[in-house]
Formats: sequence, C-alpha cells, structure tokens
Amino acid sequence: MAPPLKVQNLVKNYNKVQAVKNVSFELQPGEIFGLLGPNGAGKTSIISCIVTLETPNEGLIEVFGHDVTQQAKAAKYKMGFVPQELIHHGFFSAEEILEIHSGYYCIVNNRERIHYLLNELGLWEHKDKKVRQLSGGMKRRLLVAKALVHEPRLLLLDEPTAGVDIELRESLWKFVCELKKEGVSVLLTTHYLEEAEELCQRVGVLSHGRLIKLGETHDLITELTHRRVSFSLKNSLKKIHHELKTEELNNRHIFNIPYTKSIEELFNELSLGLGDVTDLKIQEGSLEDAFRYLLVEDMEENK
Amino acid sequence: MIKKRDILSFSMLYYKELRRFNKVVIQTVLTPLITSSLYLLIFGISLGKNIHLLGDIPYLAFIIPGLVMMGVLNNAYQNSSTSIISGKFSGDLQDLKITPLGDHQIIWALALGGLTRGLIVGGITFFVGQIFYYQIYDKFLLIVHPLYLVIFVIIGGLSFAVMGLCVAFWARTFDQLSAISSFILTPLIYLGGVFFTLENLHPTWQALSKFNPLLYLINGVRLGILGQSDVSLNSALVVSFGFFLFVYFIALRSLQKASFSRW
Repeated sequence: MAPPLKVQNLVKNYNKVQAVKNVSFELQPGEIFGLLGPNGAGKTSIISCIVTLETPNEGLIEVFGHDVTQQAKAAKYKMGFVPQELIHHGFFSAEEILEIHSGYYCIVNNRERIHYLLNELGLWEHKDKKVRQLSGGMKRRLLVAKALVHEPRLLLLDEPTAGVDIELRESLWKFVCELKKEGVSVLLTTHYLEEAEELCQRVGVLSHGRLIKLGETHDLITELTHRRVSFSLKNSLKKIHHELKTEELNNRHIFNIPYTKSIEELFNELSLGLGDVTDLKIQEGSLEDAFRYLLVEDMEENK
Repeated sequence: MIKKRDILSFSMLYYKELRRFNKVVIQTVLTPLITSSLYLLIFGISLGKNIHLLGDIPYLAFIIPGLVMMGVLNNAYQNSSTSIISGKFSGDLQDLKITPLGDHQIIWALALGGLTRGLIVGGITFFVGQIFYYQIYDKFLLIVHPLYLVIFVIIGGLSFAVMGLCVAFWARTFDQLSAISSFILTPLIYLGGVFFTLENLHPTWQALSKFNPLLYLINGVRLGILGQSDVSLNSALVVSFGFFLFVYFIALRSLQKASFSRW
C-alpha cells in the first residue's frame, strides 16, 4: 500500500531564496511524525507544498500514492490541514463554516460528523456564534474541526498549539492520539519539543531548509544526548575521579553518561555499590537536548 | 467530463456566495437601489425633460436599460472581488485551494454569485424605473426583445463577476484594487453609453467607443428592452461572448498563478 505521505527530493524556492533544499521523508500508516526546526527552517513551506498552497520547484509529493501536483483532487480528499494562522470567517457561525467546508468535499448531509467534532473539540456551546466572536483557542479548535469534516486519513498540523493554553493543548493532543488509534497518520510541526517527544514516534529535524536528521524519537535521544546521573556519597570524604564526571557540588557528584553505558557499568568503574550512595537521581536526555545538539552541530558545519 | 462531485462542491461555494451577500444586504442590495433611484430621479426625470433624443424615445426610457446594466455589471464585479479580497484578509481564501474545488468550479461559483447579486440589483432598478415611467407616462415600459435582454444581462453579469475575480486575485493592495475600479472600470461603464447615445459624441470619441466592450453589453440590453441600439445585434453578441471568453481565460490563468495566501 502506498504510504500516507511521501516527500521526495523536495525543493522550494522563493525568488532567489531556497527555503526547502532537497528534503525527503515518508510517513507510515497510523504514525505521528514531527517536523521540527527553528523559525524559518522550512516547515511551513513543506506543508504548504503538500497541501498545494505552494508549487514545488523540484521533487515529488504523494499522498496515498496520489501526486499532489498531477492528481491534486484525489490527494485533497485524503488529507486535512490545520494552518498555523487563525482564520476569521467574518460572516458565518462555527457550525455553518463546518457545513460549507463539508460541501467543498462534496459531503451534503454531514451533520452527524459535524456534531461529533463540535462535541469532541469543546465547541458545541459555541456552534451558533459567529467565528469572529470566538476566542483564539476556540478558533484554533474550529480549524481542527474543519480539517476533519471529511474524515481524512492524513492530518497535517502546522503548529496547532502556538499561543494555546495548557488545558487546550492537552485536550488537543488527546484528540490527536485518538485519531492515531483510528489509523489516521499525522504530520505535525511544533515548537514545543516536550510535546513532540511525547507524541511523535519519529521526527525530522530541519535547519535552513535541509533535513539534518530523521529517525525514531527515542533513537535520536539515545544517540545524541546523555543521561545525567547524580548522587551523594555516604562517605563524604571519599574522592571520585572519572572522565564522565562533570561537576561536584557539596558532596554531590554529577556525571553525563552516554546511553551506550549502563548505570551498572558506571558504578562498577567507580567501584561503588548502591549501598555507598544516597539520593541517586537519573535524568534522561530529552528531545530538546538532541534538537539543540543537532542545530549547534549544523551551525558549526556551515560556518 | 463534469462529475457529480464537481457539481456538488461548486454548488456549495455558490451557496456560500449567496449567503455571504445576503448577510450584508444593506451594503449589497439596498445601497445600489438608492443609487439607481437617485440616477433615475435626477437624470431620467429632472434633467431628462430637457434632453431630446433622435426618434421618439423619452430620455427616461433611454437610461433605464443603461442603469439596469450598470447595476448588474457593478454589482457582479463588486461581489466577486470583495469575496476574494475579504478571503485574503480573513485567511479563508486558502480553503478554496486546499479543498478539492477545481479552478472551473471556483470561477463558475463566483461568476454565478456575482450574476445573482447583479440580477437582483438590475431587477430592482428596472422595477423602480418602471414606477417612475408609469408616474410620468401613465404606462409601463414594455420589453421588446426579452430573449436579447436575458442574454446580454447574463453574459454581462458573468463577465464582470469573472473580471472582479481576476482583479482581486491580481491585486496586492487595496490601492491597486481601487485603482482598477476608479481608473478603468468606472470610466468604461460611464463612457459605454449608459447616459448617452453614440450620436451625441464627437466622431473621435465615437470611434474610440467602438473599442469599449461595455458599449456592446449596454447597447445589447437597450436593444432587448427598447428594440433600439447604437450597435447591431450581431456585433453586440460577438463582442459580448468574446469578452466573456477573454476574461474567463484570464481568470483561469490567474487561479493557476495566483497566491491564495493571507494579505
């Protein structure tokens, strides 16, 4: 079966600026894939090319096997898109907007689905309000509902939680996870790396339009970050020397150890047992650490 | 081949256009009604008494078709251009691009939306004109060739709605939009024979007017209502349909090239 999304050697230029440089990646069915990168890295340009708002200069984009430039209509039926910027829809109510949007996908009687989405996204009580009367968070939820009226199998979320409060973020991600369970594949861009770490099975990291890393989120963390292990010794007079030790503060010894080394190995090398230490703390590496590492590395390579 | 799906998505966009101008009915329908009533009152009745045309047609009868068509053209143009421009502002224009609506569906939905509003305003103008005419001449103005009237009103309304779409997609600022309206469209409409016949013009202007497609559209409507016109039926038909095909082609190119992004 064709993958939900296949991006191959994508290039997008704006005048003389190359915003996307030969980017390739694929989404697997039912996965949440995170496209990460600092501002201006090319995330929105890639999504814009996928949803046909922009035309790629080179490369191929397929949605469930449909080329988005050659078979745009077939591809559009399969995907839903939540843009980064809010949309106001001055004249219409939330429910009317969803009805109209359903009509664009040739769905005439979509009331059941629309009511389901209004309920799921906490918009039911606001369904008759004009869109301009809705708060920013509600408008954001309406955008998600709009993207889902036609039950797409691929959902593209371009920074859906930008400027959204914690409660809404949590409910939104819960909903996205439910969609994933239903087999919907999700491509998301976000600045909240903790969210990406929690949600995404795989991530791609973009810098200056290039995809500098692609892989399983967990693998990236173990490959590019260290565990921070710290403990105090019962015998505070005992001295410890080790190449991975980074700090010692008030009898607290701090180590940064790669994921290839187990804590047991570290303790063996230090000739310590669990009985020798108190207050052992292990802090796992994060996607944010991996992300920072990649960006710094990329910057140094391109100096 | 036209598929059922294409018709459905087109119908929804057309329906949205109707709902949109229905929600601002004062701006879209009542304002043009007042304007055309004032034109009829001032030009048709007050000044019209002193204007004598060749033949026995009263000046009021002469300007009714012109004002009807002016209402149709202006409103068709306004409807589609403001629809696109407000979409550029609010950001919902991109919905047209990301959903399965095709270029032809978008053009036809906006064209018919504009035509519908144009027909409403044109119809109201004609109705008001009839009231004025009845008050003065104690009879209604009869339509001599209803079929011609329908053809020219429809083709004119569609052409101008499509033109509104082209201009709105092309414009990058409000200045550009109003420049087209003020410097090109309004002069072409006013010089297209709404208020005068070609005979009243200097020969140079008469020759230049022949290049104004609006002259043919407006005179086509005049031919339909009064049975008289400055141009022949055939030339009016050829120019009007040619003009429509021309703007339709430009609209297709605009949609392929244009940005659907927010301003």
